[in-house]
Parts: sequence; structure tokens; C-alpha cells
Amino acid sequence: MASILVADDDADIRDLVAYKLTQSGHQVIVVDDGLTALKAVRERTVDLALLDIRMPGMSGLDVCRELRAAPKTERLPVILLTARSQEFDVETGFAAGADDYIVKPFSPRELSSRVQAVLARAAR
Amino acid sequence: MTGREVINGSLQVLVGSAVVLLVLIVCVRAVRRARERHRQRTVEPLRVLLLELLCAEGDEAAGSLQALSALDDRSWAAVEPTARTILAKVSGHARTSLVGLFEQRGVATRAMADLGRRGSVRKGRAAEVLGLLRHRAAAPRLRVLLVDADPEVRTVAARTLGHIGDPANVPALLNCLHGPHPVPPAVVLQALTAFGAAGHDQVATGLDDAEPLVRAVAVETLGATGGVVWTTRIAAALRADPHIEVRIRAARALGALGTPAGLEPLLDAVRRGQPEPLRVVAARALGRLGASCAAPRLGELLDDPVHRVASTAARALLHVGPTGRDELRRAAGGARGVPAVAHARAVLAEAAIGEEGPRSAAGPAAVGS
Repeated sequence: MASILVADDDADIRDLVAYKLTQSGHQVIVVDDGLTALKAVRERTVDLALLDIRMPGMSGLDVCRELRAAPKTERLPVILLTARSQEFDVETGFAAGADDYIVKPFSPRELSSRVQAVLARAAR
Repeated sequence: MTGREVINGSLQVLVGSAVVLLVLIVCVRAVRRARERHRQRTVEPLRVLLLELLCAEGDEAAGSLQALSALDDRSWAAVEPTARTILAKVSGHARTSLVGLFEQRGVATRAMADLGRRGSVRKGRAAEVLGLLRHRAAAPRLRVLLVDADPEVRTVAARTLGHIGDPANVPALLNCLHGPHPVPPAVVLQALTAFGAAGHDQVATGLDDAEPLVRAVAVETLGATGGVVWTTRIAAALRADPHIEVRIRAARALGALGTPAGLEPLLDAVRRGQPEPLRVVAARALGRLGASCAAPRLGELLDDPVHRVASTAARALLHVGPTGRDELRRAAGGARGVPAVAHARAVLAEAAIGEEGPRSAAGPAAVGS
């Protein structure tokens, strides 16, 4: 069981992702903006962060860069959630240090598999 | 009655009306809020059922599907908007399950019936629902709506045909660009782009259409969806189409396609004497193409008397890689004329700021926020 942070300003996506990951046996922390996400990662034990790229205030990319810049979180696995065909976002996401990305609309099953894969890679 | 009494009376009526209006507004808002709260209360437990349906593995979906299908009409009315919103956000098995629920609730059947109604709002909403469900059986009825008297209905019908995604609908979509009341080209373009490579053959028939708007949309669709097989035809449109809009979109398409065959026609299109809007788009397309051999021509354009052409060429040079940057640095150093110095320096300075952005994490220059 891993502790996963889900940051998305869209309540539907947040609930769906949280439900699926909880169903898969993970512990889920949900937040709706980038700043709170950063605060949650700093204050709690998080094994993976799932960040929406476009959030009000601080974007998922900004959060990812901040995580990579801090020694405590530089190795934290990060998956970005992005809208379809935002190729630029994807490139920038990898440049910011993301481990993987999921394109919206997404399949909850695929999301769960990707989370598992990234957690397995990080555990090696 | 004196003038003063008339004024006083009028003022009293005015104040009275304002108070009544205010009370009405407050009441309507309160009722709306109460309704929404009630809807939320109804939806909350049902939302869990929805999530169960979306996240189910194997046969687990059957229980929640049955429960949601058996909801009374009032509960379904409360949960349907949420289900509809979620439908646009999921794919794969979750989407299939949700579409199955909508089918079982008779949503598609009702929407199909609504397509034949008189009211434009009802027709438009029905088309939207059918697009969301990608209900292929609706296509023939939607094709008829492409020539509806109401422009909103025509637009929604075109968009929905794009969502449905059957390339057999391409001719109808191209056809709705004809006549005195065409569907907005941007909407048709978006719908055609949704077909991707599967629609290429049908879209390419539009290259020979007598209507310039059809040719323009066909050219741009092929460019946006990677129709590299048609590069020669698009290049021919850029060189010789009698309509400027078609030539402009052909230039844009060649830039998007990024094949070497697009280089020469684009280099010709930026020459002096060509229409100014075409030169601007062609210069941008050369940058998108990224061919280093375009750098000298783009460098010459930095001195162009038309400001937009020169500034676009400067930005395009940034995308041409090291050769383009060298060209900009030479121009910034005074190798070309005075206008070139200004354009080159401005673009190099902007690029330097952009490159510093991502390093300063969470800074205002960070991209994609």
C-alpha cells in the first residue's frame, strides 16, 4: 500500500482517481490546488504525487519543479495529468522531472496500472 | 395634480418596483440554492454508485449498473448532469459502462426523438447528448441538421458529427461550407480534424471543390492531421490557388506537415510582392518547418519594410535551431540593416527570459501554468 497525493481542481477527476486508487489498496490524500499539494508533500509521507498540469495558482508543472528542487522530495515519483493533445505540456512535463503522464480523458484502469508501474520502478 | 405630486408619485412607484424586483431576485436565488442543495443531497449517495460503475473490474459493474438503471426519474434527473459531465472525462471501460447506463436509461432514444422537434434549443441539446454518447445511428439525422435554419443547431450538428467520428460524414461536413449560411469553418475544421488519418481520402476530395472555403478547410485539415501524402497538392494550392485564404491555409498546413517538399513553396511565398498576410503565415510556417536552409531567407526578411513580416521572421529564426540563432546574432550585431538589429535583439532577449523561466521554479515565467 502506498500513500498517494492527488492534486486536481476538478472535483469529478479528484473523486474518480481517489476512488480507484483507494480501491486498489492505496491511501489517498486529495487536494485541489498546487500550493496545498506542495504543503501536503512537505508535511506528510507521500510515495507518489499525481498532479494536474492546469490548476489555479500554482500549476502541476510548478509543483513538480519545486519537488525536484528540494532534496527531501527530489526522488518522489510524479505523474502528471494533462488534457488531450497538449504535446507542449507533455514535453515540458518531462523536462520538469515528471516520471509519467496520463492524458485526459483517461481510463481509471489504465491510471491504476500506470501508478503501479511508476511505484514499482521507484521501489527498484 | 401638481407637478410635484406627479414626481413624488413616480418616485414612489419606482422605489416600490425596485423593492419588489429585489425581493423577487432574492427569492429566486434562494429557491435555486435550495434546489441545488437538494440535488446535491440526492446526488451524493448516487455519486458513489457512479464511481463504483466507473471503477469496476470485470463483472463488478453489473450491480451498480442495475441500481443506477432502476433509479426513479427524479433521482436520475438529479444524477444525470453529473454522469454527463463525467462521461466527457473518462475513456476505455469506464466510458463503455457509462454509455451503457445512458442507453439503458433511454437517453439516446429520447435525444433521437428530440432531434425532430421544432425548438432549436431542444434540437441542439439532443445533438450534444448524442455526440457525447458518440451515437452513430444519429448521423443521418444530424447531417440533415447541418442545413437547419438556426445557426446554433447547424454548429452543434457539425460538432456532434465530429464527435461521432465516422469518416462517412466528411462529405456532408464539407458540403455545409457551401451556400449563403455555411457552418463556421473553424467548427467544420475541428470536426474534420477529429477523424484523423481515417478521414484523409474523403477530406482530400475537398481540394478540388469549386468553393474556396471548402478548399481552405480541406487543406488545413490535411495539414493538422498529418496528411503528408497530399503535400504536393497542398504546395500546388499555396502556389496557384486563386483565393488568398486557401493559399494562407496551405502555407500553415505545409508548416504543420513539416516535410522537405514544403520548403521551396514556402520560400517563394515569403518573397516581396506576395500578399502580406501570406508572407507572415509563410514565415511562421518556415520556422515551424525548422529547416536550417531557410535561415538565410528568414534573415533577409529581418530588414523587410513590413513590420509584421520582419518580426515573424525573427521569431521563426528561433525555431530553426543553431543556424537560426546564429543568423539572429549576426543581425543583432549589425550585419544587416537597422530594423533587423531591433527585431533580432528583441527576439533574442525574449528567448533569454523564456530560458531563464523554468530554472526559477514556480516563477511567473514558468510555462504552462
